[in-house]
Amino acid sequence: MTQTRSPLARAVIYAVLVVFTIYNVLPFCWTILNSLKLPKVANSRTPRFLFQPTGEHYADLWLNMHPEDFAPYGLALLLIIFALVVIVFYAGRLPVPNGLIYAGVAAAGLALLLGLPRVVNTAEFYDYLVNSVIVTIGTLAVSLSFGALAGYGLARYRHVISVVILVLALAFRSLPSLALVLPFYYLGQLSGLYDTHILLILCLVAVNQPFTIWMLRSFFMEIPREIEEAAMIDGAGRLRSFVSVIVPIMGPGIITTGLFTLLLAYNDFLLARILTQINWTLPVGIAQWTGGEDPGHITLAAAGSVSVTLPILVVIIFFQKYLIRGLASGAVKG
Amino acid sequence: MPTRAFTFFVAPSLIIMLALMTLPLLASVVLGMHYITFRNLDAPLWVGLQNYEQALADPEFWDSLEFTLIFIAATVPTRIVLGLIFALLLDQIKRFRGVFIAAALVPFVMTPVVGTLIFRDMFDRGGPYWYWMQQLFDYRLFMDSTTVPLLIIFHNIWTATPFAMIVLFAGLQTLPQESLEAARVDGASWLRQLWHVAIPHLRSLFVFIALISIMDAYRVFDSVFVLTQQNPIFDAETIMYYNFQVALSFGRLGKANAMSILTVIGIFVVLIPFLVMTYREQVEEV
Repeated sequence: MTQTRSPLARAVIYAVLVVFTIYNVLPFCWTILNSLKLPKVANSRTPRFLFQPTGEHYADLWLNMHPEDFAPYGLALLLIIFALVVIVFYAGRLPVPNGLIYAGVAAAGLALLLGLPRVVNTAEFYDYLVNSVIVTIGTLAVSLSFGALAGYGLARYRHVISVVILVLALAFRSLPSLALVLPFYYLGQLSGLYDTHILLILCLVAVNQPFTIWMLRSFFMEIPREIEEAAMIDGAGRLRSFVSVIVPIMGPGIITTGLFTLLLAYNDFLLARILTQINWTLPVGIAQWTGGEDPGHITLAAAGSVSVTLPILVVIIFFQKYLIRGLASGAVKG
Repeated sequence: MPTRAFTFFVAPSLIIMLALMTLPLLASVVLGMHYITFRNLDAPLWVGLQNYEQALADPEFWDSLEFTLIFIAATVPTRIVLGLIFALLLDQIKRFRGVFIAAALVPFVMTPVVGTLIFRDMFDRGGPYWYWMQQLFDYRLFMDSTTVPLLIIFHNIWTATPFAMIVLFAGLQTLPQESLEAARVDGASWLRQLWHVAIPHLRSLFVFIALISIMDAYRVFDSVFVLTQQNPIFDAETIMYYNFQVALSFGRLGKANAMSILTVIGIFVVLIPFLVMTYREQVEEV
């Protein structure tokens, strides 16, 4: 629409947007400050913005050993992570297929994550991180592979049955998840799957599947049929033309859907709270500090909050345009 | 695409949805007809419809439904109106758009448990919002049965407005340029452009946001769990939260299953018009 030319109006608009931005990010900034305070300072009655920072809460959170003993390992860890980031950054210039490099880096990262507790004495919070990563990756892999097949089928098959399936999926999307998780809990208790990653992954996949097929279908609809028809004329079967021709073009659509799935799996609290007993994920681990009686809880919860949020913020900032595209497409029927 | 190929592509996902959603849902209906606690998990006692009757006669169940409806009525319109206002403001500027949008994503993508925790810290004694309210208005915020429900509502608006804003902002970028041009030639003011061109164009997005928002507000749980600290004195239980308590805190699994089936029926009654509408839209495209 017409943009205003009045300098006064423009100044007011910018001012309002700046206030809105502060309102959006201030609580997280405040938590970063709290995570660096001594408990006495964090519990002060007047907000303190200047203080002597301390990293001890992060050490308490992640380590069962003296921070000084950890220092050499920490340095090695930082160097390895830095090397992996550099490899990803220059992947395009190396004479090796990019997919292979990304897969290798992902495998190295996973090995690092799972292997670290063998070398370093990590605290419980580290186990929650490992659980969260396993559950998130498992959910992503199952939901996206099954969802992509179904989304493609639903986009290409023009028949009332596709519409019926889509509307049923939308109905499933609206189910309060407690109606699903309580039977999962009960059956898990009987079958012995309670408190395992598999049960939680299955439940998250179930909750997520309707949304995944809706979103992936809408991305497949944008791809012209002629592309795979050409491949099929060249002799490729339908599945082969799907895997080798359609999926590579669908990269952005799959990343977008994957981001929403990742947020769902990583952020989930209710399902993990009900389906786990000791194999907690990060949100369940954080929730243990929601009671405010112990003055040490504020700082520990703050350090935990920052630790949980930073990885997700890094991922989102890196893939921001995909997330916004997904929201903007209005395809997010869920 | 031939039917055989369609079956091949769709079957795995359909089997997942049948095995992991339809069957559990049916199991829930049946479990709701049993008396089950943590002690007799492997030997449930058949009680027929007794759990359903008990749930419907439970005043706390209706209290929690009432608060859930108040919550929906307070948050859904607010986030749409605020989202539209900020989308229109973003539409007025060119510079720093990306920065404003990125910042708005922070409360939206943050883990809800964590987001609520840090939101509460702002209002707790010694937090910046608590302190500024005390300094500016001489008001000492105290967590009680009035303020905690309000904070739950306010927290939801904080996290959900960016979603509405980004969707509506994207909608504003796809306004029909001919209509806008015609309006400009006629000398229509910004307000008239908004009323006659933008709002009608955004109508389907309003419906879409309202639909998503109602579904999500109906099952709000995490923020209630954190802000009430599982303490009943705040009188801020939503339907999902009360249902969770019946299951895990009181250990009445049969009754909890019956309640969750009742809540499923509740949301479907509201959503059936939307589902019918979507069906008609999609069938036209086939």
